[in-house]
Amino acid sequence: MKIRVERDGLADAVAWVARSLPSRPPVPVLGGVLLDAESDDSLTVSGFDYEVSAQVGVPATIADGGRALVSGRLLADITKALPNHPVEIAVDGARMMISCGSARFSLPTMPVEDYPALPSMPQLIGELPGEVFGEAVGQVAVAAGKDDTLPMLTGVRVEIGEGKLTLVATDRFRLAMREFPWEPDASLGEVAVLVPARTLGDAAKTLGSSGGKVEMSLAANDGLLGLSGSGKRTTTRLLDADFPKYRQLLPTEHSAAAIIEVDTLVQAIKRVSLVAERGTQVRLEFVDGGLRLSAGGDDEGSAEEELPVEYTGDAVTIAFNPGYLLDGLGAVRTPRVHLSFTTPSRPALLKPVDEDGNVAPGYLYLLMPVRLPG
Amino acid sequence: MAQRLLLIKADGSVSIHSDDRAYKPLNWMSPPCWLIEDPDIWTVQNKAGEKLIITLEEVLHDSKHELGPEPGLQKDGVEADLQKLLAEHVTTLGDGWTLVRREFPTAIGPVDLMCRDAAGGSVAVEIKRRGEIDGVEQLTRYLELLNRDPLLAPVQGVFAAQQIKPQARTLAEDRGIRCVVLDYDALRGIEPDEFRLF
Repeated sequence: MKIRVERDGLADAVAWVARSLPSRPPVPVLGGVLLDAESDDSLTVSGFDYEVSAQVGVPATIADGGRALVSGRLLADITKALPNHPVEIAVDGARMMISCGSARFSLPTMPVEDYPALPSMPQLIGELPGEVFGEAVGQVAVAAGKDDTLPMLTGVRVEIGEGKLTLVATDRFRLAMREFPWEPDASLGEVAVLVPARTLGDAAKTLGSSGGKVEMSLAANDGLLGLSGSGKRTTTRLLDADFPKYRQLLPTEHSAAAIIEVDTLVQAIKRVSLVAERGTQVRLEFVDGGLRLSAGGDDEGSAEEELPVEYTGDAVTIAFNPGYLLDGLGAVRTPRVHLSFTTPSRPALLKPVDEDGNVAPGYLYLLMPVRLPG
Repeated sequence: MAQRLLLIKADGSVSIHSDDRAYKPLNWMSPPCWLIEDPDIWTVQNKAGEKLIITLEEVLHDSKHELGPEPGLQKDGVEADLQKLLAEHVTTLGDGWTLVRREFPTAIGPVDLMCRDAAGGSVAVEIKRRGEIDGVEQLTRYLELLNRDPLLAPVQGVFAAQQIKPQARTLAEDRGIRCVVLDYDALRGIEPDEFRLF
């Protein structure tokens, strides 16, 4: 193999593929990235660890075709650090030579024969606007559980229904749900799958930020979801777990509601929660026309701050985990947020507010309060 | 000659055990090393030329078992779990108690739990699986340091463990430290009292 490729394209491709590689692969070859220069004008970079696969093409000048497998992490670090010159890659025996400007690297290769074949893309079920999909996944994945003790909570539930796509995630303390209209392939019918949140989040962010269309493909029976767009494709195994019955958790009514400037509230929460030991709680005290935020207590420092809000309902004090509240405020993606609740021990609902001051449909963030002291 | 158990592991290491406690081998050689089997004499040798020579008179039993890949040890009921559980159920230690924080920092290391009792007094809690004398000493050092802090003093001590050795209990009580025996299963059975969606 002997090829020449632009540094930026190569570094981006390798970084993207290497990101999904396991940090401690059970078999060393699974920590590798496969460079495939069998075609005429493109280098294909791929990685696969039996859970997640990623593949991307980079335009390249190919003098001599071939395939090689090298450590993904090392190659990603090297390509990122290379100077901005064309990169020449040549494989000689069991070593790969990389030269760029005046820098030269020689890496040991791993046997290509031992590398597993990447899963083929499942059946295409439809196209989504990348930007919308990227944003939607970002808004929902934030609520997914981070620890593996309850596997069903580490996923994003993707529901494909009549004319709409619903994404939901929850970690038992909050629940985020986004719905938007979408016309998938007519033959599909209603399907719901559970996709690992971290993988989906990464893929949607990368594919969404490139601005084009994202193609979604699904083999629900084989437990495989594929996403592709702008030359990149990735597949992930689906989680085989039952998602909680979440629709019954969504409150149907509220007794108090406030419309608040997101940015002002975020800044204020960040300030007062400085005294909240390890993010224990920030208290929101709503009175007519105003909101008093406070945190801390007699044992440690305490802080409070007042903001003007549009509030309807009786005076009430409700407390939240500041981290979870900030996650929700960051996820509504509008300048103002609609916060509604009933009592200090029942879940509160955050919804985006449009320019006319009405609640915008399509997104909700349900947040469980924390117990007030005393 | 004595009867011995010889263990040869897949990494090449050889160890010789006697019939005595769960204890380290009488003699051993760590990998990388290799075993040369001559009749009646085994020689284990490493790169430095060190030799472990074993004379065999009789083989009572000889068997080989593949143990497979190591999935890692899952510890249950270790201190960290106990600490988390007790932090969630501070009232196990006394009615009206509240948690200040886990891993409360001091200059000589973190105290497992810092609490306030019903009257608002500070209490430092040291958690162990097995309460022995060195645990009491550790808590004593923390208490001495914490009591120098005018915002906290006076700080009481609680020594909490799944089992507490009699000597440790005597020492602790002599120093005015309360001893509490923890029931891990009971602690685990209580649902945390934080609000959850489901």
